[in-house]
Amino acid sequence: MKILIIEDEPLLSETIVSFLKKEGYRTEQAGSFDQGREKVNIYEYDCVLVDIGLPDGNGLGLIREIKKCHPETGIIILSAKNSLDDKVSGLDLGADDYLTKPFHLSELNSRIKSLLRRRKFDGQKEYTVGRIRIIPENRQVFVAEEALAVTKKEFDLLLYFVTNPGRVLTKESIAEHLWGDFADNSDTFNFVYSHIKNLKRKIFEKTGTEYFRNVYGSGYFFECPRETAANVDDPYPVEKS
Amino acid sequence: MKLQNKISIRFLLVTFVVFVLAGVLFYLALGHVVDYNIREMLDSRRASVLLYLQNSEKDKIAAISQDQTIFIRKIPRTNDYTLLSDTLAFDHDEKGMIPYRKMVFSTLANGEYFQVTILQSLLESEDLRAVIVSFMIFLFLMILIALFFLNNWLSNKVWSPFIKSLADLKSWKLSELHRVQFDRTGITEFNQLNRMLEEMMGKMLADYRNLREFADNASHELQTPLAIMKSKLELLLDDASISGLPHKQLYDLYQSVTRLSKLNEALLLLSKIENRQFSDKSEVDLSNLIQSRLDYLGELFDLKEIKPSADLKSPFIIRMHPVLADILVNNLLSNALNHNFAGGKIVVTSGFNEMVVSNTGSPQPLDAQKIFRRFAKGSNSMHSNGLGLAIAKEICQSNHLELSYGYLNNCHCFTVKKMGEDGLSV
Repeated sequence: MKILIIEDEPLLSETIVSFLKKEGYRTEQAGSFDQGREKVNIYEYDCVLVDIGLPDGNGLGLIREIKKCHPETGIIILSAKNSLDDKVSGLDLGADDYLTKPFHLSELNSRIKSLLRRRKFDGQKEYTVGRIRIIPENRQVFVAEEALAVTKKEFDLLLYFVTNPGRVLTKESIAEHLWGDFADNSDTFNFVYSHIKNLKRKIFEKTGTEYFRNVYGSGYFFECPRETAANVDDPYPVEKS
Repeated sequence: MKLQNKISIRFLLVTFVVFVLAGVLFYLALGHVVDYNIREMLDSRRASVLLYLQNSEKDKIAAISQDQTIFIRKIPRTNDYTLLSDTLAFDHDEKGMIPYRKMVFSTLANGEYFQVTILQSLLESEDLRAVIVSFMIFLFLMILIALFFLNNWLSNKVWSPFIKSLADLKSWKLSELHRVQFDRTGITEFNQLNRMLEEMMGKMLADYRNLREFADNASHELQTPLAIMKSKLELLLDDASISGLPHKQLYDLYQSVTRLSKLNEALLLLSKIENRQFSDKSEVDLSNLIQSRLDYLGELFDLKEIKPSADLKSPFIIRMHPVLADILVNNLLSNALNHNFAGGKIVVTSGFNEMVVSNTGSPQPLDAQKIFRRFAKGSNSMHSNGLGLAIAKEICQSNHLELSYGYLNNCHCFTVKKMGEDGLSV
């Protein structure tokens, strides 16, 4: 999977690149409107992340360009918070998604996966972590080959974890993923906690294993537990709850 | 009291007093002149009666004059006297009693004493007096009315530039960043006033613009570094080689940066609302919107054991940017939830021109002046940046809505009310 990042702020761009590389994507960077235009005209990407506020041009122009050359390419707009008209016009031009800065990298990851899944025939249609299989299109969850009944929010939560396996998801990023603007509320962390507790219980009942782990109070970690022997260097030992 | 009325009332009051005094004096003077005239007439008739008595023979003296206004009768010896009095007597012409001035005097003529009574009708002079007085009153009223209208007209004319300036000032809003251009008037004082006002406004606008530009730029420039910090920290938090205390410290840092960037977003949003950058308005039913938000947030309420009750049958339709409507509803509900206690209540009602969100919470009423100010935090909560209500207020203000606070039945009530274009409630 090849991803192009068009972002004028080199530090931010590099952070995104190093994150996506860990995810196994091939990445390329463009630091300006002109560079971006050149790249999208020559190469074909699976996904392009476009910053709207580029110093030498509006990212919306690039979206038009991409749609013209490679209509199959997925486009995610990265933009400053509350530039709502950009959002509307960007999506009208054919962008697939919209993220406001500053965003959580795991959120970006989740969005890219969902986009690739939707746009590409060879995109991943289902995710499997351990004995958990999740089919986003039908909003179905199978645990140990049995369908698991989950609420809407629990599904969103699980999908977020499943698309970011083996990664620390901070409470903030989870709350924001589930609640958007309402995540500022003081009770959302409790809410995240109680949902994770429920999911944990439901999955544990079927598999007898813990998939969620608490990470030093900062967030949660989702992974298929390795064999007992391999648990020696486990960075986040299971906390008994 | 309006300036014009104040002047009119003083003006009319003084005129009234002067007229009343003049009227009384005139009336007295008139009475005096009339009395004097009557006396003169009586005196001249007395002279003719005396002449008549002197020249008539004793037995031929008529007791009553033809017009029945002079009566003469013999009396025994007496001292000289003259008495004047007012009386009523029957008059055949008038077919009624009419007022007379009566003069009774004694005289000695041809060695005999007579008492003479002369009646002088006062009817004519009374009539005259009445005519003059009513004319006076009529004139007085006419002058009063004329003065009133003249005064009104004149004040309107003279004060109109002032009133116009006042109206301009009233409609002027610093945050709208437009200058008011006052017209030149023919009156020096007003010209001076207007010039001073223009200068002051210019200064205020310049200061305000600078301040706002600074705030805008600051928040804008902070955005990118904050985004970088946040994502770098996220990468570090995800680094399995960092664990224990360093991880905890990184997370603290991450939390603070998240808070900072949220604060920054809120400030940016505020300045965007102030700059009227949300001009793309459409009809939004806030009542409907808040209902869908309540449904969406149902789980959050459940978690806090809060049972929201809503009476939202009546649509509350406002022309505003849909995103602002969303933020407004969000902030109000968020506030009601955040400052509530477990097991508390949230009641939302809507009417044709208002919507009320009320919630239980701290048992004391809040300071209505302070809560809408920026950074007016009740508690130093990690999750409240103290801008939620300030943003809600700003949104309302930019959309002809009034957001007010009240404390009723142990509930904190936030009311959103429609305002007319002129800023008055409808």
